[in-house]
Amino acid sequence: MSDILAVRGLHAGYGAGDILKGIDVVVPRGEVVTIIGPNGSGKSTLIKTLAGLLSVREGEIVLDGARLNGLSAPQRVRAGLSYVPQEYNVFRNLTVYENLKIAHEFMGARSKNGAKVLDDELLALFPELPGKFRTLAGNLSGGQRQMLAFACALTIQPKLLMLDEPSASLSPKYMADIFGTIKKVNSRGVTVFMVEQNAVGALRISDTCVVMANGRVRVTAPAAEVLSKPDLQSLYLGDARAQTGAS
Amino acid sequence: MILQTAFNGFVSGIIVTLPALAITLLFGVLKFPNFAVGSMMTLAAYVVFALNVQLGLPLTLATAIGAILFGGVLIFIDALTFRPLRERGSITLMVASLGLGFVLENIARLAYGNTARSFALELARPFRFLDVRMNREQMIAIVAASIALVAMYFLLTRMPIGRAMRAVADNPALALVRGIESPTVIRWTWFIAGVLLAVGGVLIGMDRALEPPMGSNYLIMVFAAAILGGLGSPLGAFVGALIIGIVSELSTLVIAPNYRIGIPLCVIALILIFRPQGLFGQPHIRR
Amino acid sequence: MISFIILMSIIVCFSAIIALALNFQWGLGGMVNFGLTGLYALGAYACAILMTRFGMNTFVGAVGAMVIVAAVSALVALVTLRVSEEDYFAIVTLGVGEMLRLVALNEDWLTNGALGITGVPRPFGDVIPPEYYQYFMLGLSLTLLLGTLALLNVLARSPFGRIMRAVREDDVVAATLGKRVPWAHVRIFVLGGALIGLAGSLHAFYYQYIDPTQFSNVVIAYAFMAVISGGRGAHFGTIMGAAAVMVLLEGSRFAKEIIPGLDSDQLAAIRIIMIGVGLILLLIFRPHGFMREYRLQVSLK
Repeated sequence: MSDILAVRGLHAGYGAGDILKGIDVVVPRGEVVTIIGPNGSGKSTLIKTLAGLLSVREGEIVLDGARLNGLSAPQRVRAGLSYVPQEYNVFRNLTVYENLKIAHEFMGARSKNGAKVLDDELLALFPELPGKFRTLAGNLSGGQRQMLAFACALTIQPKLLMLDEPSASLSPKYMADIFGTIKKVNSRGVTVFMVEQNAVGALRISDTCVVMANGRVRVTAPAAEVLSKPDLQSLYLGDARAQTGAS
Repeated sequence: MILQTAFNGFVSGIIVTLPALAITLLFGVLKFPNFAVGSMMTLAAYVVFALNVQLGLPLTLATAIGAILFGGVLIFIDALTFRPLRERGSITLMVASLGLGFVLENIARLAYGNTARSFALELARPFRFLDVRMNREQMIAIVAASIALVAMYFLLTRMPIGRAMRAVADNPALALVRGIESPTVIRWTWFIAGVLLAVGGVLIGMDRALEPPMGSNYLIMVFAAAILGGLGSPLGAFVGALIIGIVSELSTLVIAPNYRIGIPLCVIALILIFRPQGLFGQPHIRR
Repeated sequence: MISFIILMSIIVCFSAIIALALNFQWGLGGMVNFGLTGLYALGAYACAILMTRFGMNTFVGAVGAMVIVAAVSALVALVTLRVSEEDYFAIVTLGVGEMLRLVALNEDWLTNGALGITGVPRPFGDVIPPEYYQYFMLGLSLTLLLGTLALLNVLARSPFGRIMRAVREDDVVAATLGKRVPWAHVRIFVLGGALIGLAGSLHAFYYQYIDPTQFSNVVIAYAFMAVISGGRGAHFGTIMGAAAVMVLLEGSRFAKEIIPGLDSDQLAAIRIIMIGVGLILLLIFRPHGFMREYRLQVSLK
């Protein structure tokens, strides 16, 4: 199975009517796949449905050969699916250490009891964190919180790491850092699937680009191609100006 | 006189820390104020009464067994009453808890009638320390509550399930994607609340008499403690309960004892006007 | 038999007015009044005391009761002005209800404590012969109930009502209207309070004797059940709900004759257990009652 994630005909939504109207996406092993699209296209809804926070109404989600449909969000985590939400992605009233400890204890990390919450690999990726172990996560800066959220998601060696707008509301310095970190994580063998508003920055480190609009997939193409074709760019990246808000 | 009153208030407060903690834990994880906690304390106390007086077990053992039993009872009650309503808003849950309160209090009344009962405890002479009279029940209350509080502290800060409870209280959706199973946490929360309420109920039953309206009479005081401390903050529940206990008792020096309940109410009112999140609470994020 | 039906109907009228008040405060104002029982008791006692201790006539007694309950309601609403969470409001009203109950029980000098107040006069009591009084009472109660219904319906359909409903359902509307919303809430709560005071007065007139035991938690359970079974804002439905609940549960008083071997305390306890269980069952199985509530937890299922 060369695809880590296969999504077929996915329908999901919040109230009456579907937001996702039949999504087909494939994430090959080892790649970075980025979803872009205008606000309201359903990008965030897609990732939340994959994570298990929203029920599947129709369609299938297969992670490394295992069908995820009936599984709860915690079960999906243990199956190897790691997710970093866009906001509220750390436990603000718990310390940095406690955040990491929880991830360690509950995400199914296959390590011995008493192991350190940050192994050497993570330590190399997030050197700022140990100094802040006793700080409440809510008192960190936006960029630091993002790093903590990442570190927690990487406490296990996930089969697939899903990121919802990792660069949203970050200062430019942290933005570059984030994409650099994602690339580093990917180079160590973690498949990455992300939703991004800042299309250019994300596509630069991606292998494949998926364009969504109105709850459907419009285009799937190599990221380099989308970046290099100006007309494709203007069509689909037109509103990639700084925008916040759910998609 | 003041020292004696303050001491009495301290005892009263430390007893209230247990149900206040239960309320705050339940609120944090389940996101609604549970109006049945008063009756839960009462019913739990009667369970211990049955073990202690009717089955003849010594009070400490009866309380321990009764508390564990009652923890299980609450898990069961939650499955019947609150789980079907999990997705609804807090008003529905509050109303359900109100109804549940009636049911529990009257189950106690049905089984044991309206006459006041007391636990089987050997009489002991109170002793004096620094001109303050401390009777045996009060000492037991202080020791028992302290043990419970220390245990809670360790549970919440050192044990995985305690961290999980705090995580769910902080951000339920994030807890899910960090691998925390919500039903498990909910069950544990009810169990722990049940233990706290059982011990609290016994201590109250020792302090006053054991009768059906016993717990409900404490409801407002317990809520005042939790709100003063900040709903959702365990530390707040502890501090709030002590403050309410001491202040309520001291107030009897100036106003009629029957209106002790006015103090918690005023405290709630003042807090809501000036600092709704209480001493240690976080600004309320409705997610 | 006829007497029984009339008796039931009169009691249904009081309960219906309370249920309507609860529905109004909750439906338009988002304020759930857990202190309903206490405020009802306040209304009854206020009316009785005004008449027996201050020698007022029944009209002044009733109006006085309405004013007093409205004033207390205003106080509660003002205190909670800053806090928009329903939870805190519920807790405060619960506390107020408790406090009022204690006052009724303990302030002997005012309320006669557990002994209660006897000899409460009733409107036109000396004019209408006793054997016909129940018809008059029924007529009076029905008239007031229908008047209440009409008033609340008019308010609900008015621009004010529509705005308040919009505020309840849409945060953006609420944010736009800003400060005016809490004040509107106060007015809504005060009006509801006046209605509760009215119901309390009727209670006092009808029974002519009030004591603390008449105001148990059962009152509020009835009101909630009526509102839930009646469905959202459907005022007529609320009345039907009140009627159904009342008949079923008051009728169960006669279970004593049927079930031997239980003393009256235990039977009373069983009744209340049934009421509590009934309330919970209604909540579980009647999802459209009590407003279409959903949490704004978009991220959870």
